[in-house]
Amino acid sequence: MEALGALMDGFATALTPINIMWSMVGVTLGTLIGILPGIGPALTIALLLPVTRTLDPTGAFIMFAGLYYGAMYGSSTTSILLNTPGESGSIVTALEGNQMARRGRGAAALATAAIGSFIAGTIGTLLLTFLAPQFVKLAILFGPAEYFALMVLAFMTVTTLLGASVTRGMTSLMIGLAFGLAGTDILTGQPRLVFGIPSMLRGIDTVVVAVGLFAVGEALYMASRRDLREAVILPIQGSLFMTREEWRRSWKPWLRGTAIGFPFGALPAGGTEIPTFLSYFMEKKLAKNPEEFGKGAIEGVAGPEAANNAAVAGVLVPLLALGLPTSATAAILLAAFEQYNLQPGPQLFSASGTLVWALIASLYIGNVMLLVLNLPLAGVWVRLLAIPQPLLYGGILVFSTLGVYSLSNSTFDLVLLFIVGIIGFLMRRHDFPVAPAIIGLILGPMAEAQFRRALTISQGDATVFFTHPISLALLLIALAVVVVPVILRRVLRRVPV
Amino acid sequence: MSVAGLLIGLGLIAIAAIIAIDVSGMRVPPVHAKVGPRFFPLLVSSGLALAGAAVVWQAWRRTFDEDLPPATDWFAVAVIAAGLILHMNLLRPVGFVPAAMVLFMSVTFAFGSRSFLRDGAVALVLALVAYLGFTRLLGLQLPAGLLQGII
Repeated sequence: MEALGALMDGFATALTPINIMWSMVGVTLGTLIGILPGIGPALTIALLLPVTRTLDPTGAFIMFAGLYYGAMYGSSTTSILLNTPGESGSIVTALEGNQMARRGRGAAALATAAIGSFIAGTIGTLLLTFLAPQFVKLAILFGPAEYFALMVLAFMTVTTLLGASVTRGMTSLMIGLAFGLAGTDILTGQPRLVFGIPSMLRGIDTVVVAVGLFAVGEALYMASRRDLREAVILPIQGSLFMTREEWRRSWKPWLRGTAIGFPFGALPAGGTEIPTFLSYFMEKKLAKNPEEFGKGAIEGVAGPEAANNAAVAGVLVPLLALGLPTSATAAILLAAFEQYNLQPGPQLFSASGTLVWALIASLYIGNVMLLVLNLPLAGVWVRLLAIPQPLLYGGILVFSTLGVYSLSNSTFDLVLLFIVGIIGFLMRRHDFPVAPAIIGLILGPMAEAQFRRALTISQGDATVFFTHPISLALLLIALAVVVVPVILRRVLRRVPV
Repeated sequence: MSVAGLLIGLGLIAIAAIIAIDVSGMRVPPVHAKVGPRFFPLLVSSGLALAGAAVVWQAWRRTFDEDLPPATDWFAVAVIAAGLILHMNLLRPVGFVPAAMVLFMSVTFAFGSRSFLRDGAVALVLALVAYLGFTRLLGLQLPAGLLQGII
């Protein structure tokens, strides 16, 4: 129960006026960018990094976490009323949510999404509170070889589970790893892939790559698709107070969504998308009236919306306890920790305990704020959807270039941003997932460092990765993640349908 | 055969080759010979080359772009690209506010807006607010350019 005591201290820090303010800023900004299509939590946190460099880290992380939660709340509004997801975690919400809005039950859809997010977010945060210290105990057993094996596992799961095919996932990962190679080698101090350009000695900044792939690539792609330009915003109809019938049909999907979302977020499987899809199909299977699915079944909104919020809480467990990001946003958060010279993992809990527990406590507070912000004020936020698309993307690019330039007042970073943006556009156009590239970019240099450290300790003996039991187990799971789906597909193909 | 897929695959192989060539030119001190700074880049280079080969193979067998978007507005892409290039070249000489306005207008134009007056007004207000907010409140350095001494 030591977690409980630590959490109470966390509340004491999180409830100071200044930290309440940061939480408020985070959840408000999160809801805003969640609602706006084309701008997500990973991009926003990346853009905030140069601005928050001088800020107190506790306040900054309270804001970032609120932003991540808030984006999940806000994005459901866009899915329901506009039929385009505000974030990738709300893609399935659009299926039933938009149908509900078309049939005059938009308010009920928004309500079940917000209340489900609150319940899932709170349960998820509770699980985080008690599981993170357990993970830390595990992490203490980890040496460089184990960390390297863990990263290999993360690489394999994100590449196989995200995107259309393993080839595309692998390509994206390799692009990210390649970006991470450039700069001064950490151990020998030698320039690597610098091509004689002095500005390249610092390496390619995470912010440049994230903003290039997410903002510039996305803007170029959206501009190239004339057919995606016009969207119909539906008005909120009906009562925000759900009927007894709607409550009865929602509560089980909320709990089931939470049960699916949290573990998937904590696994290195790329965050919020997969659990929302799983939750949707589960609700469809379990529904008493499956014929209603596709025509506005409230279960199809309640389940996935709970799942994506629970997944965000799940993502924070390996991020805080092991320093392992399992989604693009978590990868950017890891870059934020690096900016403050903080190393997530056991040391973070022992050396910066105040920060961690204030951060976790702020999640409980943020969830309450978000419920208030999203339920009664839904009508206010909807006005944001009326921003014409040209102005929205114009604004996104102005702030993106501003953020990238202010990293180090260098126009060379703008050149890099342009190149990465073109790559991001091609990736979007040809269906390559972006998240593996972000995770590869951030984990790549860490994986290399752990790999070389492990081999230095073993004096060049490469068998260390296979003789340490934890490392061997992780590598075998990584292998299974790649091989099992291929075998399954072969076997299934042979069975006549 | 998908031409775009073929080009993407060959592009990946070219990047792989650049990494391999650059790293081969590094002089590695003998202490680091075993697990030096070359090993990981060569691993990534092989991975990229393999991925590129797989994409070329898929493009050849026409299994690469099975659900490519129906039509691509290349003109819009070119306009935004031009806006970004103009912006990075204008930023230092003319300053943040005019450069940001040029970028903003290129994006709104590419997205099909022809309300130049409205877009220009929004661009001006946005750029001015961003400039003042970031330089006065957050203490960042942005080039003032033409507006030096005025704002």
